[in-house]
Amino acid sequence: MGITHENLTNYLDRIEKNRKINAFIELNPDAKRDAKKVDEKINSGTAGKLAGLLIAVKSNINVRGLRATCASKTLENYVSPYDATVIEKIRKEDGVIIGMTNMDEFACGSSGESSYFGPTQNPSAKGRIPGGSSSGSSAAVAANFCDISLGSDTGGSIRNPASHCGIIGLKPTYGLVSRYGLIDLAMSLDQIGSLSKDVSSAALMLEVIQGRDFKEGTTLDISQQDFVSNLSSDLREWKIGFAQEYKEFTDPKIVREIKKGLDRLSSNGAEIVDIEISNLSKGISTYYLTVFVEFFSGTRKFDGRRFGYNIENVCGREVLRRIMLGRYISQKEYSGKYYKKALQFRSLIKKELLTVLNNVDIIAGPTVPKLPHKIGDKVTDPLVMYGYDLLTVPANLAGIPSGVIKVGNVKDIPVGMQIQSKPLGEQNILNVMCNLEGEK
Amino acid sequence: MKTIIGFEIHEQLNTKSKLYCNSSTHYRNVEPNTNVCEVCTGMPGAKPYPMNQDAIDATVEIALMLNCDIIENPVYIQRKHYDYPDLPSGYQRTSLPIGKDGKLNDVGIWEVHIEEDPGKYDPLSGLVDYNRSGVPLVEIVTAPDIRNPEDGRKFLRELSKVLQYTGKVKPEGGTMRMDTNISLEGGARVEIKNINSVKGAYRALKFEITRQKNLRKRGVKVIQETRAFIESQMITRRMRIKETDADYRYIPDPDIPPLLINAKKIIEIKSAMPEAPHLKLKRFMDTFGISHDDAWAITNEKEMADDIEFEIHQLNKTKKVVDFNRHIIKKTIEYKKLTYKQSGLNGINVSDILKLIEDGHLTDFNAELTVRNIIDKTIDGIYTDRVTLNNIENLGLAKINEKDIVEKAVIEVLNENSNAVEDFKLGKSKALNFMIGQVMMKTKGRADPDIVRLILKKELR
Repeated sequence: MGITHENLTNYLDRIEKNRKINAFIELNPDAKRDAKKVDEKINSGTAGKLAGLLIAVKSNINVRGLRATCASKTLENYVSPYDATVIEKIRKEDGVIIGMTNMDEFACGSSGESSYFGPTQNPSAKGRIPGGSSSGSSAAVAANFCDISLGSDTGGSIRNPASHCGIIGLKPTYGLVSRYGLIDLAMSLDQIGSLSKDVSSAALMLEVIQGRDFKEGTTLDISQQDFVSNLSSDLREWKIGFAQEYKEFTDPKIVREIKKGLDRLSSNGAEIVDIEISNLSKGISTYYLTVFVEFFSGTRKFDGRRFGYNIENVCGREVLRRIMLGRYISQKEYSGKYYKKALQFRSLIKKELLTVLNNVDIIAGPTVPKLPHKIGDKVTDPLVMYGYDLLTVPANLAGIPSGVIKVGNVKDIPVGMQIQSKPLGEQNILNVMCNLEGEK
Repeated sequence: MKTIIGFEIHEQLNTKSKLYCNSSTHYRNVEPNTNVCEVCTGMPGAKPYPMNQDAIDATVEIALMLNCDIIENPVYIQRKHYDYPDLPSGYQRTSLPIGKDGKLNDVGIWEVHIEEDPGKYDPLSGLVDYNRSGVPLVEIVTAPDIRNPEDGRKFLRELSKVLQYTGKVKPEGGTMRMDTNISLEGGARVEIKNINSVKGAYRALKFEITRQKNLRKRGVKVIQETRAFIESQMITRRMRIKETDADYRYIPDPDIPPLLINAKKIIEIKSAMPEAPHLKLKRFMDTFGISHDDAWAITNEKEMADDIEFEIHQLNKTKKVVDFNRHIIKKTIEYKKLTYKQSGLNGINVSDILKLIEDGHLTDFNAELTVRNIIDKTIDGIYTDRVTLNNIENLGLAKINEKDIVEKAVIEVLNENSNAVEDFKLGKSKALNFMIGQVMMKTKGRADPDIVRLILKKELR
């Protein structure tokens, strides 16, 4: 048996034995065939960068022949007729898709509980939510069901579960990775990224999926970067910013773990400096107004005519709430009041973050203000739920890259540090994570 | 009572691929849903490709031809939301103005922008064909400068000519669609949608003016509303009353970066674009000293107008060239129900014919037969490159320049038509024309009618 095939068999065995984690919505029936093909290539010495690796994919990314359900009844039976650009690139480098992962319905949530296919368990914190919305992609990595997974991040959907599950998550700069084939939550904020066990996997996956896409107009026209060969843990002369505002909104127990992480970075040669992000608290309303309007617009195609069901007739409460609010605030009479104002605030937030990032190499801080709650302790107040995204949405609003790496535990619950950099500063983030990883 | 009319006109651009994907724009005479992909059918996750550059350039050119100022600031693409089976994403992508403040003859052009065509929905079968979905459209919005249906029709014909001149719209015609706004002075504005032809626009306006006048006569107030033109019955029918019923919830499309049209590009397009037909018409009138109607007739098709200029340059005989095109060529192609472009005639073969006339090898009568011969061959798929003396001799169309042959034919005609000779001698000048015709028939059009007339007169004396 070849290495890919063997790897696959082990993963499938583990998935089967741990079905209660509910990380996958569908497994790829062709995975074995694909793995064998890759093994042949490995033997003949023609294999690509991802040869031997099994990749799990969030169910809002189109993989030809598999269902992209968005964990909703709406698309329960929608089988993708095409590959997303990131999937084409992964296939080209001989990655094998193991299956489609669970998520919050249409990526609307940060707990993983709103899936039509049932909630996902947190493999790293028993009985607790894994975070979301890339809940299954995160759990699949944490439970060792795959090598790397793809998620999408609109306001923290990769970083939030990465933090709660104690793994690496990376949301790239807006436009570095093609969204072609990603089913929209909010087009101006969505970005595909990876979840992985180690930093080099994150670098490797980004190296594969990055790049200008002639099919996607918002991708950036820049040359390919070598993230793996440029990995370095040297932080001498680095300036790392920490905003005092973070403490104001975050559980002190989490702040304590983040401080420990900063201490380690400091002892490894970096200078920790105080910064001010005065617009931090404005992010949430700006973010949600944008999401409501763009989500409303993007879901108009789910009219039940050509595929699936009419979304409003079958979706869950949170999805419906966002559609209704989007419909309401995008009315002609309110457009100036809400959406346009949100766009204005967005540029304000972006400006502040970019100014701060001119003076420091990266910003480090907490990822989620609170620890993951127990499954079943449902948060019914949407405003409380939206508050979970407070620390992650600014990166999306500013279009900057942001990564998460575990720096500690609170009562055996992982705590991830969030590292943000200026646009296209992915290498900086990876290198800081590299430094922290070596410290484990 | 003053009537106030404005138009919003849509015409398909003649690009190879659709506006936001690489699917072909062919949707006529192909199986339904064959020229489609995940983008133009709005499959989940599909995104618009960057906008088709040919479509953008064509729109800029059309805006320039209509004397618009081109917007050099970023032009956003908006999503216009409405729910209809032919609209796969639930919104139509439509740009903000690319050109503004233009003019065509006396009608102001408010703006020119670009948008995508939806698919085709058949309400009877409930089926949708997405082959048309995503085909680029240019939309032209006029100022309410038109005062009656006749002027409206004239304007639309002129506009259609401008669009055809650019060569950037579908050449088959019949793809122009329009909405019109119409009000009587002091009355509310009524919008009429669903008009698919110039004739339809004329009929819709006629009907609507009568309807509004009748309401006024009976003391009923005309209300602001949107009406649909029902082509089969030539009437308009209410669609909706309140403007607020159609809230399209416009937002800038986050998937499409705004367009930037720079000054260099505008100069580039400007220098390569054709002269607008209304300007060409005026120049033809002024430089050739011809009437408006003649100039209109020969500038109707850009290809013909261009060839005429070429022929004039070749022969240096303006009047002869214009007359020949205006009367003989125009008549012949219209009789065959062809456009000039389809006829196979061109500046070179027509110049040859004119030259043969000038050199005394062709009579006007047989020049027409030569034109017909070229067209007939074109229909059979044979393209005529040049016309030589040898060609017309082989066709038996070359002029008879030998006087004795003509004289022989004249004598024969006089002998065979004693009644006509009698009539002529009684002073009926028509009889002379009849006899000239007889000689022409006998010589198969190859005799010079002026010489025939001279010889006849001499013999009858």
